[in-house]
Amino acid sequence: MFEVAVILITAIVVLLVAYLTAISSRDLIRLLISLEMMFGAVFLVLIPVFSIPKMANTAFGVLVITIFTSSSELLVLIASVVLINRIRRDVSTDVVSSGGDMP
Amino acid sequence: MDTTSLILLTLGSVTVLSSLGVLLSKDNFYSALYMALTMIFIATTFAVFDVQPAFILIAFIFIGAIGIVTVALAAVFREVPRSIPVDKLWIAPTIVTVGALAYAIYRYATFNMSATPPDMSTFQSEYALAVAFLICLMVLLMISIVKLVRREELCLR
Repeated sequence: MFEVAVILITAIVVLLVAYLTAISSRDLIRLLISLEMMFGAVFLVLIPVFSIPKMANTAFGVLVITIFTSSSELLVLIASVVLINRIRRDVSTDVVSSGGDMP
Repeated sequence: MDTTSLILLTLGSVTVLSSLGVLLSKDNFYSALYMALTMIFIATTFAVFDVQPAFILIAFIFIGAIGIVTVALAAVFREVPRSIPVDKLWIAPTIVTVGALAYAIYRYATFNMSATPPDMSTFQSEYALAVAFLICLMVLLMISIVKLVRREELCLR
């Protein structure tokens, strides 16, 4: 009876934990991990949409697009982390706090 | 309480516990492992509702490819953070917000849920163009990343 409630509460808690991890992260790896968890929470929210028979295909379409775009985004972030480590020899968030190119 | 609700409650609990492991673990490597575990539990929730294509997509692409790369990266940069710079005062409003959201969901989202698996033959015909565009997007992104890395390599020489 409370399936939707359980799914949505789990999604909210996972999202909050991901936000906390992102806020408290000192390096880019932890930031990457928290981003992946945020996408996980988004996937969970899509489950109730599958319960509407007419929306099942649309929900799956949204899920496919979300998975592929988030994976691409995370791949770009992974490549950026590797590049930042090559240039700065460090992956802590302090080295990218100012953003942009080197002064 | 029926079997599905019980399984879902158990899955939700272990998902939350493993996500807390990401936050509380001080080692990046263990955080990444807990993250992979959380994602597996999320994919399993789809399987509980018989949405097997979603389980396969999340398990193979999101966990199998991206998750494992993250775990490998975390194993390389296995740094332990000095301290968690979060103000403790944030805990109170966070708990209040979570409580309010949880009550609202508990109060209003109580309809019986039976997920319908997607019809793959219809999906393929309806979303063929979207999938083609997605493949183009991914190929373009890969080419951009390779170009970016090669340009940086040339700059570092």
